[in-house]
Amino acid sequence: MIKIENLFKEFPLNKEQKKERNTSDKFASAVEDVSFNCNPGEVFSLLGPNGAGKTTILRMLSTVIQPSSGSIEICGIDAIKYPREARKKIGFLTGSTGLYARLSAHEIIDYFASLYNVPQALLKERKSYLFDLLGMNDFANKRIGKLSTGMKQKVSICRTMIHDPDVVIFDEPTSGLDVITAESIIQLIRDCRDQNKTVLFSSHIMGEVDLLCDRLAIIHQGKLKHHGTMEDFRAQMTGKSLTGEFINIVQS
Amino acid sequence: MIFKIFKKELKDTVRDRRTMLMMLVIPLLLFPVLINIVLGVSTSYADSAESKVLKIGVIGDTSDYLVQKLAQIPESFGPKKIIAYYGDSLKLQNDQKDEKLDLILWYDSRLETQLEAQEKSWIIWAFDKTNLGYADRAKSYTQIIETTERFKRYEALNIDEQKLIPFDVIYENTASDQQMLGELAGGFLPYIFIAFGFMGCMYPAIDLFTGEKERGTIETLLTTPVHRWKILVGKMLVVVLSGLMASFSALIGLFFSIQFLDMIPDPTLVSVITGMLTPSFIVKLFFLLLPLTVFFAGIMVPISVYTKTFKEAQSIIAPMNILVILPAMIGLFPGVELNIATACVPILNIVLTTKSLIAGNIDYFLLTITFLIMLIMAGTAVFISFRQFGKETNILN
Repeated sequence: MIKIENLFKEFPLNKEQKKERNTSDKFASAVEDVSFNCNPGEVFSLLGPNGAGKTTILRMLSTVIQPSSGSIEICGIDAIKYPREARKKIGFLTGSTGLYARLSAHEIIDYFASLYNVPQALLKERKSYLFDLLGMNDFANKRIGKLSTGMKQKVSICRTMIHDPDVVIFDEPTSGLDVITAESIIQLIRDCRDQNKTVLFSSHIMGEVDLLCDRLAIIHQGKLKHHGTMEDFRAQMTGKSLTGEFINIVQS
Repeated sequence: MIFKIFKKELKDTVRDRRTMLMMLVIPLLLFPVLINIVLGVSTSYADSAESKVLKIGVIGDTSDYLVQKLAQIPESFGPKKIIAYYGDSLKLQNDQKDEKLDLILWYDSRLETQLEAQEKSWIIWAFDKTNLGYADRAKSYTQIIETTERFKRYEALNIDEQKLIPFDVIYENTASDQQMLGELAGGFLPYIFIAFGFMGCMYPAIDLFTGEKERGTIETLLTTPVHRWKILVGKMLVVVLSGLMASFSALIGLFFSIQFLDMIPDPTLVSVITGMLTPSFIVKLFFLLLPLTVFFAGIMVPISVYTKTFKEAQSIIAPMNILVILPAMIGLFPGVELNIATACVPILNIVLTTKSLIAGNIDYFLLTITFLIMLIMAGTAVFISFRQFGKETNILN
């Protein structure tokens, strides 16, 4: 599970940034006092417009960056004190595909599996399962540079899942993908829930959120604007649609 | 874990055509190609200069004593065509300006009388010195005529030429061929591997750090349970290996050129050079190159980590080449020798130590100082790289 409490993140401002923002402050706040938790067997969605602070929160969860204050717990591990231990439990899909263009899908998956110390037998099993699920067998030996965006995203997801993590974090996993590819990724997220994994994904596609989410949090300007179950969100809806409600919350 | 990262990064780098070009192909082929072209061009120029029929304008008449002597010089000293101007100096000068003449011979109109009277006369050769071979041709013509006239005077004055020479002087070179080679080529050799080592490190450093930031792959890598320092070391090893490969490729290319392209006409010198390539020499050279390349990598990595785009990194690192070459060039100056002071100057110490290694007169105390200084520089640079790589504002775009 993921548990974050009173999370703050400030970034230092350089001269140019101070000029742009017309401020003399040394730091800019990206995340302010955010707390929520995601449970195993649950799909949790982090929503927010561009620049809301979603990616910053996900990066802190994956321990790529450290929070200015607050606490993060991943499967009971203090992720700030023991980031490497926490990373073993996480599968993190970044916003970009983040793949090596000169390597093949096979080579990338093998490489990341080796970094997670995945035993050979498990690697074979996981590769077979994920390649079949994501329909990757046809292009697994091709170099990444020659693949389409959808194919690359499948490889990225496979890379994220290869070590069978307990916590899966997806940063806009279906962004820029065609419907068929997006559907296979949505199916994978459902499978993760069925396998009792903790799934956290950020998105701004309300249809996807409606389809998958058990609980959601809405972030705007680094602050938590809404946090609760999807059922509650639907029940208290004042707008005509989920998108309308999302806009209402963000603008309130 | 470091080896896993190193292996993957090496595979990725080897598949990058641009890096391979800078790391192996250019250093390996540059010298054979360059030397072949230079030798070919200079030989053809020398041949054409020797066989060219020079048009020599003379101020006087073809019947003048000096002109006759000039005409009598055999063709084997270079073919020529003599054109007399019968005192028309203006036309003579204009024709030279219009490039109708290659050489002009001015002489005293009383030259024949002066020679007969055993007086000193004068002649002037005028030519465009930028033209290859003109000066040599004028000198050789003059020498032939002058020697003949001098011997005539010895005879007329009844002087034994040998009595005019108080003693013979022999300047004997006590330096061995290897020492000579160290002095002549010793500075040039490290200059090559410094330049290529730097170039060889540059592209992998930018690609493995700035490139990864640009492509977003660094973030993916940082989410794995691998220590950051291990990622840094794994990547740096590839940068260092690329620099070493580029340096050694350039040296292999150079030795190949010496061995097979007749770059050095003296076979003794060629055998000295090839004999120099002992395992001991190569090991010593490797131990000098290793900290140097680590130092280069250590300079480039923090810059690559800090910069946001490939272009930005390239625009900062590429001009640094001059800063690296500058101390290397100081080592080429005559009189600059390896001592405690110069052994403490990074890069310059490498040039001077290599020079001594080639000359075979290395002082092992100074070699150790050089190695330690470079080791300290490399260690400092790696430490700075580690600090920069640890900063989250640097590693994410």
